[in-house]
Amino acid sequence: MIDRREATKVVVELAGDNPIVGSIGNPNTDLGAFDRPRNYYVSAMGMASSVGLGVAIARPNQRVIVLDGDGAIFMNLSSLATEGTVGVRNLVHVIWDNSRLEITGGQPTPTARGADLAGIAKASGFANAVTVETLEDFRAAFARAMSGSDLWAIVARINPGNARREADLRLGFVQMRDRFVASFG
Amino acid sequence: MALVSSAAGRYSADAAPPWARDLIAALKASGVTNIVTVPDSVFGPALAVAEADPDIRLTAVNREEEAVGVLCGLYLGGQRGAMVIQSSGLGNTLNALGSLALVGRFPFPIVVALRGELGEWNPAQFSMGRAVPGCLDALRIRHHTISHLEDVTPVVQGAATTCFHMEEPIGILLSAQLTGSRVRGEG
Repeated sequence: MIDRREATKVVVELAGDNPIVGSIGNPNTDLGAFDRPRNYYVSAMGMASSVGLGVAIARPNQRVIVLDGDGAIFMNLSSLATEGTVGVRNLVHVIWDNSRLEITGGQPTPTARGADLAGIAKASGFANAVTVETLEDFRAAFARAMSGSDLWAIVARINPGNARREADLRLGFVQMRDRFVASFG
Repeated sequence: MALVSSAAGRYSADAAPPWARDLIAALKASGVTNIVTVPDSVFGPALAVAEADPDIRLTAVNREEEAVGVLCGLYLGGQRGAMVIQSSGLGNTLNALGSLALVGRFPFPIVVALRGELGEWNPAQFSMGRAVPGCLDALRIRHHTISHLEDVTPVVQGAATTCFHMEEPIGILLSAQLTGSRVRGEG
C-alpha cells in the first residue's frame, strides 16, 4: 500500500511545469503541502476529472494531471468515458484508491466490494490504465505516463487515513483561479 | 458497428433555422470558442452549426454536471466556453454550479432550451422545465428568456458580455416560442 502524501510528492517532483488539478478532500490536502501556482484545488466532489479535461482541451501542449479519489470518481463516473473518447490525449488521471470515503467516516466505496477502477478506465477508452500498490511502482507508472503522449489512468492503492493538515493555504478561490490562469502568461 | 462521427448527430448546419445560426454567431462574437453540451433535440441544428465552424470546438459530455467542470477547466486554461443544454439537464448541474463555478467566479453562458411550456407533449418535461428560472434564482444566477428571433443576437451578446465582465455564469433561456414546439416523436 502507498502513502498518499509520499506519492503526491512524487507527482509534484515529476510534474515539471504541467498543471495539477486536485479533488476536494484528502487529494487536495496532500497537494496543498506542495503548493504551486499551477495547482488548482477543485471544490466540488467529483468535478476534478471534468475540470482537468477542460484544462487539457484548452492547453493541448501540457500534460494535465488529475489527482482524484475513488469516492470522487464514482460520483462522476461518466466523466471517465468522456475523457476516454472525446479525443484528448494529454491527460494523466491518478486515482488515490483506499476503498473508503475517508472524510465522511471510512464508509466503503465500490472498490471495497470488487469494482475495478483501472478496468473501468480501460473499458472507457483510456489507452493505458494500471493499478499500482507500491510507491516504486507508482513512480515508474507516473514517469511513463508523463513522458508518454496518450491517455493514462493510474489507480494507486493507498493506505486508509485522513491527510495531515499542517497549515491552511489561506488561498481564496478567485485568487487560486487567477494565479493558475496567469501561470500560462 | 457503425460509429457516429458527428457530435451533432443527424442534424446538418445547412438546414439550421435562423435562431440557431444567430445563437452560435452571437456566442462567437462574444469570444466563445467552445460549446460544451449534452445534446438535445431542440439544439441539434445549433450544434451542427457549431460543429461546422472551424473557430468553435464542440465538446459533448455525458452529463450536464460534467459540463460545469469542463467549462471551469477551459477558463483556467484561458479559453471561453458556453454550456448548451435542455431544461431537464439544468437539474444535473446544480451542485457543481454552486460549489465550483460560483465559488470560483467562473464565467460562462448557460443556454437552456426550455421544455414544459408551449405545446409540450411529454409530462416528464413539465416540472423541471418550469423550475429552471427558480433554480437559477435560488443560486442567484441572472437569466434572460428569449422568445423572438430579433432578440437572439442582442440578448445573447449582451448576456455573454455581462457574464464575462462580471465573472459569473449567466442563464440564457430559449422559449419554445423561439425554438418551436416539440412534436411527439422528436424527443
